[in-house]
Amino acid sequence: MADVAATRPVRNATSRTALVVVGLVVLAAVGLRLADPSRVAWMQAFLILLGSLLIVALPFVALGALASALIEVLVPIGTLEKLARLPRPLQLPAAGLAGVAFPICECGSVPVARRLAARGLMPSAAITFMLAAPVLNPVVIASTYVAFRGRTALWTMVGGRFLLGLLVAVAVGWVVGNRTKDELLRPRQDDRHAHHVEFGPPEARWRRFFLHMGNDFLFMGRYLLLGATLAALVQTFLPTSIVLRVAGAPVLDIVVMMGLATVLSLCSESDAFIAASFVQFGPAAQLAFLVSGPMVDLKLGALYAGTFHKRFVWMVVVAVFAATLVGAMWLKVLAG
Amino acid sequence: MRDAVVAGRVARTRPREPGRPQAWSSSRVGGAMVIAAWAGLFWFLFLTGRDDLYLSTRTIWVVPIGAVLLMAAALGRLASARVRTPEPMHAREVWIMGLMVVPVVLVLALPPATLGTFSAGKRAGAVGFAVSVGGAGSGPLTLIDVASAQFSKSGEQALAKRAGEQVEFVGFVTRYPDTPADEFLLTRFIVTCCVADATIAQVRVVNVPPGRFETNDWVEVRGPIYPLGREVIVNASSVEAVSRPDRPYLTP
Repeated sequence: MADVAATRPVRNATSRTALVVVGLVVLAAVGLRLADPSRVAWMQAFLILLGSLLIVALPFVALGALASALIEVLVPIGTLEKLARLPRPLQLPAAGLAGVAFPICECGSVPVARRLAARGLMPSAAITFMLAAPVLNPVVIASTYVAFRGRTALWTMVGGRFLLGLLVAVAVGWVVGNRTKDELLRPRQDDRHAHHVEFGPPEARWRRFFLHMGNDFLFMGRYLLLGATLAALVQTFLPTSIVLRVAGAPVLDIVVMMGLATVLSLCSESDAFIAASFVQFGPAAQLAFLVSGPMVDLKLGALYAGTFHKRFVWMVVVAVFAATLVGAMWLKVLAG
Repeated sequence: MRDAVVAGRVARTRPREPGRPQAWSSSRVGGAMVIAAWAGLFWFLFLTGRDDLYLSTRTIWVVPIGAVLLMAAALGRLASARVRTPEPMHAREVWIMGLMVVPVVLVLALPPATLGTFSAGKRAGAVGFAVSVGGAGSGPLTLIDVASAQFSKSGEQALAKRAGEQVEFVGFVTRYPDTPADEFLLTRFIVTCCVADATIAQVRVVNVPPGRFETNDWVEVRGPIYPLGREVIVNASSVEAVSRPDRPYLTP
């Protein structure tokens, strides 16, 4: 009875809030229709860019949520701990190479990695998997091959992307070290709900599947929305021609290409076509674009911020940039 | 405590507890509605063909995939939304759900539109696309061949060999303050994945009737082509207004 009394004010507030929220959403639609965004060029461009980023990314988030829910309901607790029985030097490369089997882009790999860590996989291995899967999977490697076909640097780019992607993912996993999942993952209200349900009469497997799939989609979707909004704003107002001024400058060209990958927030399954077009930049800078982009960009930053603790996100960002920069500079020395 | 421990077994043998009737979980229903809204948007884009305004032909397949996946997720969540102990739903959650629906509403309310002169100015001479080496060697010239010439030496050489050939290009009119009255830039966006990676193919059209075409008007230009280094000129023999193509963006 006390529980019912305690929850009643929340429910009342929610009902009122729901009405206000629905009203505001309807108002936004009517306002947009009346404002006629075609008269305001930047607004029209922003809405088109925001829409396109969300439309291309959300199906991948849904696929990731589907995979995550399947792991939750089908993989018994402890199965993933078998990876920990491998000799320590092999654990992280094995986690990275597991990404070869997951043809999903970076938006889909975040919920999968989160679920893997929550289900008992070592956090360092989960992070290595999360960073490696969008770079190493067959679709991405195939698209890299197609994009650079006919170039003298073809195998440098295809092999380099695979190897440098794996090395960077393993290096970041190594930096994560022995941190526990509680040190990495932000607690989620949905998780508490899910556990709350599990403490009572257990729900059927199909019900838990759809609950987890929906929760993951809604959770990742909100951060994707934030990241896509930032990326669309930058793309609407930033003249991209300014980045070309640094092409050919040692080290700076690599840094700029990593920065550009962060800003553009492209999908890993198509970013090779964009990288290939930066003919003013050398293979090392293009490779830095292809390796760091699927690991750190604006939309991913928002997803990471919602999934992991803030300090950990910064650690991943710095480690990815540092490892990619060092790797790309080595390539520059070796390949010219 | 004992009841809690054996609750699973009790639930299987007694599916309905008389004292605790099932109720709709507002959290699950609300979430299902948000997912359904996105599923609805994907179906709308797929059925009306408006997905062409946001994606390239390479990635357009994600739209039906998204529509089916999200519809299944919404229906499944709704089917599992009646529970004995509904989860509490806080006001913050409702606001977030509302925010997640806003892009759906905006895309639905936005009249069919494409990037125009404003974005062309921001992207001129910058990000490129999948360069088709030597693509301008044979067959009718396209604006993709022109873009290749503007981004690669081999493309430039291939296009130079075809100077003086007749072309037919469709694009939109772009003008800058210093553009002469009898000229304009014919522009078309090239999209590899989604509009976010759009870059431009642009030719300077000369010998145009002054004052006949406004910025962002879609036109078809015919005439001989003259590549001058990275700048490409078309001496217009005819310029006609046309409606925006069904696929306004080119895919390399």
